[in-house]
Order: sequence, then C-alpha cells, then structure tokens
Amino acid sequence: MSKDAERPYIVFGFQSTHDALSAEAALATARVGLVVMPTPKVLGALCGIALRVAEADAPAAEQVLAEAGIASSGSARILDR
Amino acid sequence: MAEFDLPPIVYFDHAATSWPKPDTVLDAMQRAVLYAGGNPGRGAHRLAVAASRTILEARGAVAGLLGVSEPRDLVFTAGCTEALNVAIKGLLKPGDRVVVSSMEHNAVARPLNLLAAAGVIVDIVRADEHGHVDADIVERAVAECETRAVICQHASNVTGVIQPIGDFADIAHEAGAVLVVDGAQATGHMRIDLSVLGADVYASSGHKGLLGPQGVGILYLSPDIDPDELVQGGSGGSSEEPLQPRSRPDRYEAGTSNTPGIAGLGASARYLSIHGDELRALEGELTARLHEGFLGIPGLRVLGPILGEERVPVVSVVHERVDGDRIAFELDRRYGIAVRAGLHCAPWAHETIGTLDSGAVRFGIGYGLTADDVDRALAAMREICA
Repeated sequence: MSKDAERPYIVFGFQSTHDALSAEAALATARVGLVVMPTPKVLGALCGIALRVAEADAPAAEQVLAEAGIASSGSARILDR
Repeated sequence: MAEFDLPPIVYFDHAATSWPKPDTVLDAMQRAVLYAGGNPGRGAHRLAVAASRTILEARGAVAGLLGVSEPRDLVFTAGCTEALNVAIKGLLKPGDRVVVSSMEHNAVARPLNLLAAAGVIVDIVRADEHGHVDADIVERAVAECETRAVICQHASNVTGVIQPIGDFADIAHEAGAVLVVDGAQATGHMRIDLSVLGADVYASSGHKGLLGPQGVGILYLSPDIDPDELVQGGSGGSSEEPLQPRSRPDRYEAGTSNTPGIAGLGASARYLSIHGDELRALEGELTARLHEGFLGIPGLRVLGPILGEERVPVVSVVHERVDGDRIAFELDRRYGIAVRAGLHCAPWAHETIGTLDSGAVRFGIGYGLTADDVDRALAAMREICA
C-alpha cells in the first residue's frame, strides 16, 4: 500500500456504548461523517467502540459533542487507509 | 411477520401480564433477532452495533414515554422484581430505617423481610380496608426517627387503588429520605411523568401495561442517588478495570442484555406514546362497566375503591359463597375467560384488606379487550355465582 493512501483521522473514545452511540446520532444529525470502529489501543482501552472522523472534521465534531453534552473519554490522531 | 391464529381466550389477566401484544412489538423483536443479532456493546462489527443501536433507541423511547430527561438514568432489568431488588438492596444497609406501605407486592416485601433479618429496620404503614395509604400516617411514621427510604407502590395489583405518590415524595424529601416506587401496575395504565412525580427510584415491568414482552423491566434512578449494583460482570467497555464501571447505564446492566425483549419494549413504548391516551380512556370505561356490573351480582363484593373513584384497570372480587379458585376454574374451562385467583403475590395487601384467608378473583383490563368482552365476563359471573 502506498504511503500516499494513508489519511489522518481523529478517533474519539467514550466511557460507554450508550455514550458512543449517542455521539454517533448527534454527529449524524449534524452531518459530520464518521465511522464506528473498535476502540484503538492508542486510546488506552482494548474494547468498546469508538468513532472515527476525518481530521478536518474533528473541530466540528468536538463542538457537536459539547453541545450534546456527551463527554469523550479521549481522542487520538491515527493514520488509516 | 408471520401470521398466527390466537387462541380463543377472553383475556382478563392484564395485571399479571398483558396479552396479546401490539403487532409492532412482535415485529420489532423479530427484526432484532434477524438484523441486530450481535451482542450489544460487545464489538464494533455491524451486527453488534445494530444491537447497541436497538437498545439505545429503545431506551430513548421508554425515557420519552415516562418523562425521563436523561436516558442514561433508565436501566433495563429482567423485570420489575429485579429492579426493586437493585434499589432496595443497593440503597439500604444494616441500621437504616425504611417506611413501607402494607399494600406492597412480594417483590418489595420479600427483599425487605430478608434485609430486616440483617438489621434493616422495616416499619410498615397500614393502609385502609380499600388499600389507600394515608399520606398523614406516612408523614407521622417518617417523623418518628431517621428514615433512609419510603417505599410504596404507585397502584395496587390487588385493589387497583392509586396512591398519592407526589405527597409521599414531599414527605420523604423533607425528611432527607428517598422515595422508591413500585410502578408495576401504573406504567401504561396511567400517564406518568417522572420529571415531576418526585420519585427517586421508579421500577416497573415491561410486560404489563407497557405492553412489552416478558423478561424485561425498567429501573429509573434519579441522578442524586447512587445505589450499589447487585451484579458485577462484563459491560462491554472498560474491561481492564477490576471493578464495575460507575457510569450509567452500564453499571447496572452487567452481562448480555435481552436485546429482543428490549426491542419489543421500545416498540411498545412508541406505540403507547401515540395510542396511550386512547387506550387509557377505553380501559377506564371498561373498568367502570365491569365494576358496575359486579355490583349487581348478589353475594359478590368488589374490593378497593368505590365506583367512580380513580383506579387502575384492576377489579378484584370475593363471593360470599363461591370460592375464588372455583370461579377462576369455571371461567377458564366453561367460558374461555382468563383471570387470576388467589393472593396475587401480595399477602401483605390481602391481609390489609381482610382477604388473606379467601384470596380474591382479579380481573385485569387492558389492550385488546372490548365492551362485549366485559359483558361476556359479567354474564359468566352471573351464572357461576347464581
């Protein structure tokens, strides 16, 4: 795979599945593109689900989560294909 | 959805469990099994996420129906009994005092009897002969000494009486106690708004007036209280933590949830959000029709509130000569009418209203019943009691 194909994403972790899916619903309503994925090790946990958004959309995503009152347990920048 | 022929039963046992269910409940359960069959909260593949979404949406639907502003505070349990056990055992410690009504179901009485043996002080406030719990008596009992909790049903599964929960909330809170409410007979049959009711804990069945399937119940916990969880185990996340996570609802939902059941309950909550007022109006009419008809049958005594007084759609009767078990047997065998005789898992209540020795025959009204069904039941009762 070419390194040019790698794109930066921000992945958000959550304390519970309820929070993660509430966040998913809020982001979808706000038309922020996302992908549900297993929580990556970089977030300090090995289970649960996380939400991945394009790096360029991360500020908008953070704003949506703040307005919805949903706290992320952490976020990290990852490179994916 | 497959079509089935229902058995020819006139079903008056809604206070035990509602039957039949709205088609949308069956449809939602089938969809959950077929299209959301993963383990909710476990894994990020599409079938697991679909299961998680099913539960999220159901939680939102039930919260919306009951006026719970934060769905995280609404926990799914295996039933009302489990919900009450979580609340009672999670809140009360040896030395704590609880004031409880004498109308409670065994789902409250038995946990309290167990805790009493372990040092919890249980003071029972006696209701009157119709089942009414007087707020003034509760207030005096609470004032006697420090009280951790007041526990009362919202409505009786024996007499149908509705208790003044708002008054109990004021009394409990002024004394620094919490109010725990058993809403098994109220949800669905009454319009309930937990944002104003004042209960710190509200437990209910999913399968009675809420019209969901058996095997699922609800437990509302106010954000201000923090009962211990009864069960520890997998929660899907925070697996590296040695103890149960404290975040709601995960703290109280260890183990794999009943996704099909919760899906069905979510569907029934959405159904009631649309049709609840209409159904409650019909239940009220049918209850009054049945009650009035019973008053014309010689030797038959109707328990609970007098005709015209507010009650949930439960009408229990005792005949001076024909035993309750005989009535229930004849109704089933000769007329295809389902009722429940006996003590209804509520010996405290029957002792209170003077029917501990005889029991009673309970007619529970709900979804699917008609005026013709009520008239058929009355005609059968006239023959059996003749």
